[in-house]
Amino acid sequence: MSHRKIDVDKFDDEDAFVDENATAQGSTAVSAQTEADVDARATEVRNYLSRGDTGAAVVKALENPPAGREVTTVKDKNTATVMAALAAAKSGDILNIVKSLDSKQVDILMKYIYRGMASPELYNSAVLLAWHEKATEVAGLGSIVRVLTDRRTV
Amino acid sequence: MSSPEVFQLAIGTPITCHAFNKDRTQVAVSPNNNDVEIYQKGKTGGWELLHTLAKHDKLVTSIDWAPNTNRLVTCSQDRNAYVWDWDASQSKWEPNLCLLRINRAATFVQWSPKENKFAVASGARLISVCYFEEENNWWVSKHIKKPIRSTITSVAWHPDNILLAAGSTDMKARVFSAYIKGVDSPKAYPLWGEKFPFNTLCGEFGSEGGGWVHSVAFSPSGDYVAWASHDSTIMIAHGRDNPAIQIPFGGLPLVSLIFASETSIVGVGHDCTPFLFVLRGQQWEVIGKLDQGTKKAASSSSAFKMFQQMDSRAQQQNPEVELNTTHQNTITCVRPYAGTPENVTKFSTSGVDGKLVIWDLLASGMAGLKI
Repeated sequence: MSHRKIDVDKFDDEDAFVDENATAQGSTAVSAQTEADVDARATEVRNYLSRGDTGAAVVKALENPPAGREVTTVKDKNTATVMAALAAAKSGDILNIVKSLDSKQVDILMKYIYRGMASPELYNSAVLLAWHEKATEVAGLGSIVRVLTDRRTV
Repeated sequence: MSSPEVFQLAIGTPITCHAFNKDRTQVAVSPNNNDVEIYQKGKTGGWELLHTLAKHDKLVTSIDWAPNTNRLVTCSQDRNAYVWDWDASQSKWEPNLCLLRINRAATFVQWSPKENKFAVASGARLISVCYFEEENNWWVSKHIKKPIRSTITSVAWHPDNILLAAGSTDMKARVFSAYIKGVDSPKAYPLWGEKFPFNTLCGEFGSEGGGWVHSVAFSPSGDYVAWASHDSTIMIAHGRDNPAIQIPFGGLPLVSLIFASETSIVGVGHDCTPFLFVLRGQQWEVIGKLDQGTKKAASSSSAFKMFQQMDSRAQQQNPEVELNTTHQNTITCVRPYAGTPENVTKFSTSGVDGKLVIWDLLASGMAGLKI
Protein backbone atom coordinates (compact mmCIF):
# COMPACT_ATOMS: atom_id res chain seq x y z
CA MET A 1 0.00 0.00 0.00
CA SER A 2 2.81 2.36 -0.81
CA HIS A 3 0.54 4.93 -2.45
CA ARG A 4 -1.08 5.62 0.91
CA LYS A 5 2.20 6.92 2.22
CA ILE A 6 2.82 9.32 -0.63
CA ASP A 7 3.14 12.91 0.50
CA VAL A 8 0.56 14.35 -1.88
CA ASP A 9 1.43 17.93 -0.97
CA LYS A 10 4.68 17.48 -2.80
CA PHE A 11 2.72 17.06 -6.02
CA ASP A 12 0.44 20.00 -5.43
CA ASP A 13 1.27 22.57 -8.07
CA GLU A 14 -1.08 25.11 -6.58
CA ASP A 15 1.24 25.39 -3.61
CA ALA A 16 4.15 26.18 -5.84
CA PHE A 17 2.35 29.20 -7.30
CA VAL A 18 1.74 30.71 -3.88
CA ASP A 19 5.36 30.50 -2.83
CA GLU A 20 6.59 31.82 -6.08
CA ASN A 21 4.26 34.78 -5.93
CA ALA A 22 5.09 35.47 -2.33
CA THR A 23 8.82 35.70 -2.84
CA ALA A 24 8.92 37.24 -6.27
CA GLN A 25 7.32 40.45 -5.10
CA GLY A 26 9.46 40.97 -2.01
CA SER A 27 8.29 42.28 1.37
CA THR A 28 6.49 39.03 2.01
CA ALA A 29 8.95 36.94 3.97
CA VAL A 30 8.81 37.14 7.75
CA SER A 31 11.65 39.36 8.71
CA ALA A 32 12.53 41.70 11.51
CA GLN A 33 12.60 44.46 8.91
CA THR A 34 8.94 44.08 7.85
CA GLU A 35 7.89 43.93 11.46
CA ALA A 36 9.87 47.06 12.32
CA ASP A 37 8.39 48.80 9.26
CA VAL A 38 4.87 47.98 10.34
CA ASP A 39 5.51 49.25 13.87
CA ALA A 40 7.12 52.44 12.65
CA ARG A 41 4.22 53.01 10.26
CA ALA A 42 1.70 52.51 13.08
CA THR A 43 3.42 55.24 15.10
CA GLU A 44 3.50 57.65 12.17
CA VAL A 45 -0.14 57.06 11.39
CA ARG A 46 -1.01 57.72 15.03
CA ASN A 47 0.91 60.98 14.88
CA TYR A 48 -0.95 62.09 11.76
CA LEU A 49 -4.26 61.17 13.37
CA SER A 50 -3.49 63.08 16.59
CA ARG A 51 -2.80 66.12 14.42
CA GLY A 52 -6.12 65.53 12.65
CA ASP A 53 -4.57 64.93 9.24
CA THR A 54 -6.61 61.88 8.23
CA GLY A 55 -5.73 62.14 4.54
CA ALA A 56 -2.01 61.82 5.20
CA ALA A 57 -2.70 59.08 7.75
CA VAL A 58 -4.58 56.99 5.18
CA VAL A 59 -1.87 57.45 2.55
CA LYS A 60 0.81 56.49 5.06
CA ALA A 61 -1.12 53.46 6.31
CA LEU A 62 -1.48 52.08 2.77
CA GLU A 63 2.25 52.23 2.13
CA ASN A 64 4.07 48.99 1.31
CA PRO A 65 1.62 46.50 2.86
CA PRO A 66 3.01 43.20 4.15
CA ALA A 67 1.60 40.35 2.10
CA GLY A 68 2.01 36.61 1.82
CA ARG A 69 0.68 33.83 3.91
CA GLU A 70 3.34 33.39 6.58
CA VAL A 71 3.14 36.77 8.20
CA THR A 72 -0.33 36.67 9.75
CA THR A 73 0.54 38.53 12.94
CA VAL A 74 2.35 41.29 11.08
CA LYS A 75 -0.55 41.53 8.62
CA ASP A 76 -3.06 41.76 11.47
CA LYS A 77 -1.07 44.55 13.05
CA ASN A 78 -0.91 46.49 9.80
CA THR A 79 -4.62 45.95 9.21
CA ALA A 80 -5.33 47.49 12.60
CA THR A 81 -3.28 50.55 11.60
CA VAL A 82 -5.16 50.96 8.33
CA MET A 83 -8.51 50.50 10.03
CA ALA A 84 -7.67 53.15 12.62
CA ALA A 85 -6.91 55.60 9.82
CA LEU A 86 -10.06 54.71 7.88
CA ALA A 87 -12.29 54.96 10.95
CA ALA A 88 -10.92 58.39 11.79
CA ALA A 89 -12.02 59.94 8.51
CA LYS A 90 -15.24 61.93 8.46
CA SER A 91 -17.75 60.57 6.01
CA GLY A 92 -17.67 63.83 4.06
CA ASP A 93 -13.90 63.58 3.53
CA ILE A 94 -13.82 60.02 2.23
CA LEU A 95 -14.39 60.82 -1.42
CA ASN A 96 -11.67 63.49 -1.48
CA ILE A 97 -9.17 61.20 0.20
CA VAL A 98 -9.90 58.38 -2.25
CA LYS A 99 -9.59 60.77 -5.18
CA SER A 100 -6.18 61.87 -3.97
CA LEU A 101 -4.85 58.30 -4.12
CA ASP A 102 -3.30 56.83 -7.26
CA SER A 103 -4.69 53.65 -8.80
CA LYS A 104 -2.24 51.35 -6.98
CA GLN A 105 -3.11 52.91 -3.63
CA VAL A 106 -6.83 52.54 -4.30
CA ASP A 107 -6.28 48.85 -5.04
CA ILE A 108 -4.48 48.44 -1.72
CA LEU A 109 -7.23 50.39 0.03
CA MET A 110 -9.79 48.05 -1.52
CA LYS A 111 -7.83 45.04 -0.27
CA TYR A 112 -7.93 46.38 3.28
CA ILE A 113 -11.63 47.20 3.04
CA TYR A 114 -12.34 43.56 2.25
CA ARG A 115 -9.85 42.44 4.90
CA GLY A 116 -11.68 44.57 7.45
CA MET A 117 -15.10 43.35 6.45
CA ALA A 118 -13.84 39.80 6.94
CA SER A 119 -13.61 40.49 10.68
CA PRO A 120 -16.82 42.33 11.56
CA GLU A 121 -16.25 41.63 15.25
CA LEU A 122 -13.13 43.85 15.19
CA TYR A 123 -13.88 46.55 12.66
CA ASN A 124 -16.94 48.66 11.99
CA SER A 125 -18.44 47.44 8.72
CA ALA A 126 -20.60 50.54 8.30
CA VAL A 127 -17.46 52.68 8.01
CA LEU A 128 -15.92 50.20 5.60
CA LEU A 129 -19.04 50.16 3.43
CA ALA A 130 -18.85 53.94 3.14
CA TRP A 131 -15.23 53.63 1.99
CA HIS A 132 -16.14 50.77 -0.33
CA GLU A 133 -18.78 52.88 -2.04
CA LYS A 134 -16.37 55.73 -2.72
CA ALA A 135 -13.49 53.45 -3.75
CA THR A 136 -15.74 51.68 -6.27
CA GLU A 137 -16.97 55.02 -7.54
CA VAL A 138 -13.40 56.12 -8.23
CA ALA A 139 -11.66 52.90 -9.34
CA GLY A 140 -14.57 50.92 -10.78
CA LEU A 141 -15.31 47.23 -10.57
CA GLY A 142 -11.81 46.49 -11.83
CA SER A 143 -10.42 47.32 -8.43
CA ILE A 144 -12.69 44.73 -6.78
CA VAL A 145 -11.68 42.13 -9.37
CA ARG A 146 -8.03 42.81 -8.60
CA VAL A 147 -8.65 42.20 -4.90
CA LEU A 148 -10.35 38.90 -5.68
CA THR A 149 -7.56 37.65 -7.94
CA ASP A 150 -4.54 38.90 -6.03
CA ARG A 151 -2.74 36.16 -4.17
CA ARG A 152 -0.78 38.58 -2.05
CA THR A 153 -3.47 38.86 0.61
CA VAL A 154 -3.11 41.51 3.26
CA MET B 1 -21.64 58.17 -36.14
CA SER B 2 -22.60 54.96 -37.84
CA SER B 3 -23.83 52.30 -35.50
CA PRO B 4 -22.27 48.82 -35.47
CA GLU B 5 -23.71 46.10 -37.72
CA VAL B 6 -25.40 43.52 -35.53
CA PHE B 7 -26.26 39.98 -36.59
CA GLN B 8 -28.05 37.59 -34.28
CA LEU B 9 -26.55 34.36 -35.64
CA ALA B 10 -27.61 32.09 -32.85
CA ILE B 11 -30.64 32.53 -30.65
CA GLY B 12 -30.36 31.28 -27.13
CA THR B 13 -26.90 29.80 -27.65
CA PRO B 14 -23.55 31.45 -27.20
CA ILE B 15 -21.07 31.80 -30.05
CA THR B 16 -17.83 30.33 -28.76
CA CYS B 17 -15.69 31.86 -31.47
CA HIS B 18 -15.86 33.13 -35.02
CA ALA B 19 -13.56 33.49 -38.02
CA PHE B 20 -14.11 35.23 -41.36
CA ASN B 21 -12.72 34.22 -44.72
CA LYS B 22 -10.48 36.59 -46.64
CA ASP B 23 -13.14 38.59 -48.50
CA ARG B 24 -15.48 38.53 -45.48
CA THR B 25 -18.30 36.84 -47.44
CA GLN B 26 -18.36 33.81 -45.18
CA VAL B 27 -17.99 33.33 -41.46
CA ALA B 28 -17.32 30.16 -39.47
CA VAL B 29 -18.75 30.04 -35.98
CA SER B 30 -19.04 27.48 -33.25
CA PRO B 31 -22.51 27.64 -31.67
CA ASN B 32 -21.26 26.28 -28.35
CA ASN B 33 -21.41 22.65 -29.43
CA ASN B 34 -19.37 20.16 -31.43
CA ASP B 35 -20.32 21.60 -34.82
CA VAL B 36 -18.75 24.31 -36.89
CA GLU B 37 -21.26 26.33 -38.89
CA ILE B 38 -20.32 28.32 -41.97
CA TYR B 39 -22.58 31.21 -42.90
CA GLN B 40 -22.67 32.98 -46.23
CA LYS B 41 -23.49 36.65 -46.49
CA GLY B 42 -26.88 36.85 -48.20
CA LYS B 43 -28.05 39.41 -50.74
CA THR B 44 -30.20 41.13 -48.17
CA GLY B 45 -27.25 41.57 -45.86
CA GLY B 46 -28.14 38.78 -43.44
CA TRP B 47 -26.22 35.56 -42.96
CA GLU B 48 -27.43 32.19 -44.30
CA LEU B 49 -26.24 28.83 -43.06
CA LEU B 50 -24.21 27.20 -45.83
CA HIS B 51 -22.36 24.24 -44.34
CA THR B 52 -22.20 22.42 -41.05
CA LEU B 53 -18.88 20.77 -40.34
CA ALA B 54 -19.59 17.89 -37.99
CA LYS B 55 -16.49 15.96 -37.15
CA HIS B 56 -15.58 16.88 -33.59
CA ASP B 57 -17.05 14.90 -30.71
CA LYS B 58 -16.99 17.64 -28.12
CA LEU B 59 -17.27 21.40 -27.87
CA VAL B 60 -15.32 23.25 -30.54
CA THR B 61 -13.16 25.73 -28.65
CA SER B 62 -11.50 27.67 -31.43
CA ILE B 63 -11.57 28.28 -35.18
CA ASP B 64 -9.13 30.02 -37.46
CA TRP B 65 -9.50 30.70 -41.19
CA ALA B 66 -6.30 31.15 -43.17
CA PRO B 67 -7.03 34.01 -45.58
CA ASN B 68 -4.72 33.11 -48.45
CA THR B 69 -4.70 29.31 -48.50
CA ASN B 70 -8.44 29.39 -47.64
CA ARG B 71 -8.08 26.60 -45.10
CA LEU B 72 -9.91 26.28 -41.82
CA VAL B 73 -8.44 24.85 -38.68
CA THR B 74 -10.64 23.91 -35.75
CA CYS B 75 -9.80 22.48 -32.36
CA SER B 76 -11.99 20.98 -29.72
CA GLN B 77 -12.28 19.56 -26.25
CA ASP B 78 -12.11 16.12 -27.85
CA ARG B 79 -8.32 16.75 -28.04
CA ASN B 80 -8.27 16.86 -31.81
CA ALA B 81 -7.61 19.50 -34.41
CA TYR B 82 -8.82 19.29 -38.01
CA VAL B 83 -7.56 21.17 -41.00
CA TRP B 84 -10.42 21.68 -43.47
CA ASP B 85 -9.71 22.02 -47.20
CA TRP B 86 -12.34 23.28 -49.62
CA ASP B 87 -13.06 20.64 -52.25
CA ALA B 88 -14.58 22.64 -55.10
CA SER B 89 -15.47 19.59 -57.22
CA GLN B 90 -17.72 18.16 -54.51
CA SER B 91 -18.36 21.59 -53.00
CA LYS B 92 -17.72 20.46 -49.48
CA TRP B 93 -15.09 20.86 -46.78
CA GLU B 94 -12.67 17.93 -46.40
CA PRO B 95 -11.33 17.35 -42.90
CA ASN B 96 -7.74 16.26 -42.25
CA LEU B 97 -6.89 15.15 -38.77
CA CYS B 98 -3.80 16.61 -37.17
CA LEU B 99 -1.92 14.53 -34.63
CA LEU B 100 -1.72 16.78 -31.61
CA ARG B 101 -0.63 14.08 -29.13
CA ILE B 102 -2.28 15.77 -26.17
CA ASN B 103 -4.26 14.20 -23.34
CA ARG B 104 -6.37 17.22 -22.40
CA ALA B 105 -8.72 19.54 -24.25
CA ALA B 106 -7.40 21.81 -26.97
CA THR B 107 -8.29 25.38 -26.06
CA PHE B 108 -7.12 27.69 -28.80
CA VAL B 109 -5.76 27.54 -32.34
CA GLN B 110 -4.16 30.05 -34.65
CA TRP B 111 -2.59 29.90 -38.12
CA SER B 112 0.89 31.34 -38.43
CA PRO B 113 1.07 34.44 -40.68
CA LYS B 114 2.55 32.41 -43.57
CA GLU B 115 -0.15 29.78 -43.08
CA ASN B 116 2.30 26.87 -43.19
CA LYS B 117 2.07 26.19 -39.44
CA PHE B 118 -0.49 26.53 -36.72
CA ALA B 119 -0.28 26.42 -32.96
CA VAL B 120 -2.77 24.64 -30.73
CA ALA B 121 -2.96 25.54 -27.05
CA SER B 122 -4.16 22.90 -24.66
CA GLY B 123 -4.94 21.93 -21.12
CA ALA B 124 -2.10 19.42 -21.21
CA ARG B 125 0.33 22.20 -20.24
CA LEU B 126 1.83 22.30 -23.69
CA ILE B 127 1.49 23.91 -27.09
CA SER B 128 1.38 21.76 -30.22
CA VAL B 129 3.03 23.49 -33.14
CA CYS B 130 1.72 21.75 -36.25
CA TYR B 131 3.14 21.73 -39.76
CA PHE B 132 2.55 19.71 -42.90
CA GLU B 133 4.94 16.86 -43.62
CA GLU B 134 5.09 16.33 -47.37
CA GLU B 135 6.50 12.78 -47.37
CA ASN B 136 3.77 11.48 -45.09
CA ASN B 137 1.04 13.75 -46.45
CA TRP B 138 0.02 14.49 -42.91
CA TRP B 139 -0.15 17.34 -40.37
CA VAL B 140 2.25 16.56 -37.54
CA SER B 141 3.11 18.46 -34.38
CA LYS B 142 6.00 19.35 -32.15
CA HIS B 143 5.47 20.20 -28.50
CA ILE B 144 6.48 23.30 -26.59
CA LYS B 145 6.50 22.14 -22.99
CA LYS B 146 8.91 23.97 -20.77
CA PRO B 147 8.40 25.86 -18.54
CA ILE B 148 4.61 25.83 -18.85
CA ARG B 149 2.93 24.95 -15.57
CA SER B 150 -0.74 25.11 -16.40
CA THR B 151 -3.34 25.27 -19.16
CA ILE B 152 -2.50 27.46 -22.11
CA THR B 153 -5.50 29.67 -22.84
CA SER B 154 -4.35 31.57 -25.88
CA VAL B 155 -1.52 31.87 -28.39
CA ALA B 156 -0.49 34.55 -30.88
CA TRP B 157 2.05 34.49 -33.69
CA HIS B 158 4.75 37.06 -34.30
CA PRO B 159 4.27 38.52 -37.81
CA ASP B 160 7.55 36.88 -38.87
CA ASN B 161 6.16 33.36 -38.48
CA ILE B 162 8.68 32.11 -35.91
CA LEU B 163 8.00 33.50 -32.46
CA LEU B 164 4.86 32.54 -30.58
CA ALA B 165 3.32 34.24 -27.56
CA ALA B 166 1.28 32.17 -25.13
CA GLY B 167 -0.90 33.06 -22.16
CA SER B 168 -1.50 30.57 -19.41
CA THR B 169 -3.51 29.96 -16.25
CA ASP B 170 -0.24 29.86 -14.30
CA MET B 171 -0.52 33.70 -14.44
CA LYS B 172 2.29 34.06 -16.95
CA ALA B 173 2.58 35.20 -20.52
CA ARG B 174 5.52 33.78 -22.41
CA VAL B 175 7.18 34.14 -25.77
CA PHE B 176 8.58 31.00 -27.36
CA SER B 177 10.40 30.16 -30.52
CA ALA B 178 8.33 27.88 -32.74
CA TYR B 179 11.06 27.50 -35.35
CA ILE B 180 10.63 24.34 -37.39
CA LYS B 181 13.61 23.10 -39.36
CA GLY B 182 12.76 22.66 -43.01
CA VAL B 183 9.72 24.91 -42.76
CA ASP B 184 11.21 28.19 -41.57
CA SER B 185 14.39 30.01 -42.46
CA PRO B 186 16.41 31.50 -39.60
CA LYS B 187 15.78 35.10 -38.61
CA ALA B 188 17.20 37.45 -36.02
CA TYR B 189 15.19 39.26 -33.36
CA PRO B 190 17.59 41.23 -31.20
CA LEU B 191 14.68 42.25 -29.01
CA TRP B 192 13.75 38.70 -28.08
CA GLY B 193 17.13 36.94 -27.75
CA GLU B 194 20.12 35.63 -29.66
CA LYS B 195 19.34 32.15 -30.90
CA PHE B 196 16.00 30.59 -31.63
CA PRO B 197 15.98 26.82 -31.74
CA PHE B 198 12.53 25.30 -31.17
CA ASN B 199 11.12 25.79 -27.64
CA THR B 200 13.51 28.61 -26.70
CA LEU B 201 11.91 30.75 -24.02
CA CYS B 202 12.28 34.31 -25.30
CA GLY B 203 10.50 36.04 -22.45
CA GLU B 204 8.43 35.23 -19.41
CA PHE B 205 6.24 37.86 -17.83
CA GLY B 206 3.87 37.90 -14.89
CA SER B 207 1.48 40.53 -13.71
CA GLU B 208 1.94 41.97 -10.27
CA GLY B 209 -1.21 40.71 -8.67
CA GLY B 210 -1.52 37.55 -10.68
CA GLY B 211 -4.54 36.37 -12.55
CA TRP B 212 -5.17 33.95 -15.38
CA VAL B 213 -3.99 35.21 -18.71
CA HIS B 214 -6.97 35.12 -21.06
CA SER B 215 -5.56 36.41 -24.29
CA VAL B 216 -2.27 37.44 -25.87
CA ALA B 217 -1.46 39.47 -28.97
CA PHE B 218 1.62 40.61 -30.85
CA SER B 219 1.77 44.15 -32.19
CA PRO B 220 1.98 44.52 -36.00
CA SER B 221 5.74 45.10 -35.80
CA GLY B 222 6.23 42.17 -33.42
CA ASP B 223 8.08 44.38 -30.94
CA TYR B 224 5.34 44.45 -28.35
CA VAL B 225 3.33 41.67 -26.83
CA ALA B 226 0.17 42.48 -24.91
CA TRP B 227 -1.98 40.26 -22.76
CA ALA B 228 -5.19 40.53 -20.76
CA SER B 229 -5.41 38.84 -17.40
CA HIS B 230 -8.19 38.16 -14.97
CA ASP B 231 -7.16 40.92 -12.57
CA SER B 232 -8.73 43.54 -14.88
CA THR B 233 -5.42 44.68 -16.26
CA ILE B 234 -3.70 44.49 -19.55
CA MET B 235 0.06 44.20 -19.65
CA ILE B 236 2.42 45.18 -22.45
CA ALA B 237 5.97 43.92 -22.78
CA HIS B 238 8.58 45.35 -25.11
CA GLY B 239 11.19 42.71 -25.73
CA ARG B 240 12.71 40.19 -23.39
CA ASP B 241 14.59 42.47 -21.04
CA ASN B 242 12.35 45.48 -20.53
CA PRO B 243 9.89 45.39 -17.65
CA ALA B 244 6.28 44.91 -18.71
CA ILE B 245 3.91 47.86 -18.34
CA GLN B 246 0.75 47.28 -16.35
CA ILE B 247 -2.47 49.08 -17.28
CA PRO B 248 -5.23 48.56 -14.74
CA PHE B 249 -8.69 49.69 -15.72
CA GLY B 250 -12.00 50.08 -13.97
CA GLY B 251 -14.03 47.47 -15.80
CA LEU B 252 -14.46 43.74 -15.51
CA PRO B 253 -11.69 41.52 -16.95
CA LEU B 254 -11.06 41.30 -20.69
CA VAL B 255 -11.01 37.87 -22.30
CA SER B 256 -9.79 38.67 -25.79
CA LEU B 257 -7.71 41.46 -27.30
CA ILE B 258 -6.16 42.57 -30.58
CA PHE B 259 -3.78 45.29 -31.66
CA ALA B 260 -5.71 47.72 -33.87
CA SER B 261 -2.44 49.42 -34.79
CA GLU B 262 1.06 49.65 -33.34
CA THR B 263 -0.25 52.12 -30.78
CA SER B 264 -3.77 50.98 -30.01
CA ILE B 265 -5.38 47.89 -28.52
CA VAL B 266 -9.00 46.77 -28.56
CA GLY B 267 -10.06 44.38 -25.82
CA VAL B 268 -13.40 42.72 -25.11
CA GLY B 269 -14.71 40.84 -22.14
CA HIS B 270 -17.17 40.62 -19.32
CA ASP B 271 -18.28 44.23 -19.59
CA CYS B 272 -20.12 43.46 -22.86
CA THR B 273 -18.41 46.34 -24.62
CA PRO B 274 -15.07 46.75 -26.39
CA PHE B 275 -12.42 48.78 -24.56
CA LEU B 276 -9.83 50.92 -26.31
CA PHE B 277 -6.26 51.45 -25.08
CA VAL B 278 -3.97 53.88 -26.83
CA LEU B 279 -0.29 54.77 -26.60
CA ARG B 280 0.05 58.54 -26.36
CA GLY B 281 3.58 59.79 -26.19
CA GLN B 282 5.25 57.27 -23.92
CA GLN B 283 2.17 56.43 -21.92
CA TRP B 284 -0.48 53.80 -22.51
CA GLU B 285 -3.90 55.14 -21.60
CA VAL B 286 -7.32 53.64 -21.13
CA ILE B 287 -9.51 55.55 -23.56
CA GLY B 288 -12.61 53.76 -22.45
CA LYS B 289 -15.62 51.90 -23.71
CA LEU B 290 -16.28 51.93 -27.44
CA ASP B 291 -19.93 51.18 -26.85
CA GLN B 292 -21.27 53.84 -24.53
CA GLY B 293 -24.69 52.33 -24.75
CA THR B 294 -27.93 54.09 -25.43
CA LYS B 295 -30.31 54.60 -22.62
CA LYS B 296 -33.58 52.96 -23.48
CA ALA B 297 -36.42 55.41 -23.37
CA ALA B 298 -38.46 54.92 -20.26
CA SER B 299 -41.87 53.56 -21.05
CA SER B 300 -44.69 55.86 -20.23
CA SER B 301 -45.80 55.35 -16.71
CA SER B 302 -49.40 55.61 -15.72
CA ALA B 303 -50.81 55.32 -12.29
CA PHE B 304 -52.62 52.19 -13.38
CA LYS B 305 -49.38 50.59 -14.55
CA MET B 306 -47.59 51.51 -11.38
CA PHE B 307 -50.21 49.89 -9.18
CA GLN B 308 -50.30 46.89 -11.48
CA GLN B 309 -46.57 46.48 -11.05
CA MET B 310 -46.78 46.88 -7.32
CA ASP B 311 -49.51 44.29 -7.24
CA SER B 312 -47.84 41.68 -9.42
CA ARG B 313 -44.17 42.17 -8.58
CA ALA B 314 -44.06 44.39 -5.52
CA GLN B 315 -42.04 46.82 -7.66
CA GLN B 316 -42.94 50.22 -8.92
CA GLN B 317 -41.05 49.96 -12.18
CA ASN B 318 -40.44 47.27 -14.68
CA PRO B 319 -37.11 45.67 -13.88
CA GLU B 320 -34.57 46.40 -16.62
CA VAL B 321 -33.43 43.16 -18.12
CA GLU B 322 -31.91 44.58 -21.24
CA LEU B 323 -28.44 46.07 -21.10
CA ASN B 324 -27.68 49.39 -22.70
CA THR B 325 -24.84 47.89 -24.69
CA THR B 326 -25.05 46.26 -28.12
CA HIS B 327 -23.86 42.91 -26.80
CA GLN B 328 -26.13 41.56 -24.11
CA ASN B 329 -23.57 39.27 -22.52
CA THR B 330 -19.85 38.62 -22.28
CA ILE B 331 -17.94 39.12 -25.52
CA THR B 332 -15.60 36.20 -25.99
CA CYS B 333 -13.88 36.84 -29.29
CA VAL B 334 -12.56 39.89 -31.15
CA ARG B 335 -10.92 39.87 -34.58
CA PRO B 336 -9.78 42.43 -37.11
CA TYR B 337 -12.38 42.80 -39.87
CA ALA B 338 -11.17 45.48 -42.26
CA GLY B 339 -8.00 47.47 -42.83
CA THR B 340 -4.40 46.33 -42.50
CA PRO B 341 -2.74 44.91 -39.39
CA GLU B 342 -1.07 48.33 -38.94
CA ASN B 343 -4.37 50.13 -39.19
CA VAL B 344 -7.48 48.12 -38.40
CA THR B 345 -10.53 50.15 -39.38
CA LYS B 346 -13.22 47.65 -38.47
CA PHE B 347 -13.28 44.74 -36.08
CA SER B 348 -15.78 41.99 -35.35
CA THR B 349 -16.87 40.57 -32.02
CA SER B 350 -18.97 37.61 -30.95
CA GLY B 351 -20.17 36.57 -27.57
CA VAL B 352 -22.34 34.61 -25.21
CA ASP B 353 -25.46 36.42 -26.41
CA GLY B 354 -25.13 34.76 -29.82
CA LYS B 355 -24.51 38.02 -31.63
CA LEU B 356 -21.90 38.79 -34.24
CA VAL B 357 -21.16 42.51 -34.36
CA ILE B 358 -19.01 44.46 -36.79
CA TRP B 359 -17.69 47.70 -35.34
CA ASP B 360 -16.28 50.71 -37.11
CA LEU B 361 -13.33 51.73 -34.99
CA LEU B 362 -13.38 55.36 -36.07
CA ALA B 363 -17.12 55.75 -35.74
CA SER B 364 -17.17 54.11 -32.33
CA GLY B 365 -15.93 57.20 -30.62
CA MET B 366 -12.39 57.57 -31.84
CA ALA B 367 -12.98 60.17 -34.49
CA GLY B 368 -12.05 63.00 -32.18
CA LEU B 369 -8.84 61.36 -31.07
CA LYS B 370 -5.50 62.09 -32.65
CA ILE B 371 -3.54 58.89 -32.57
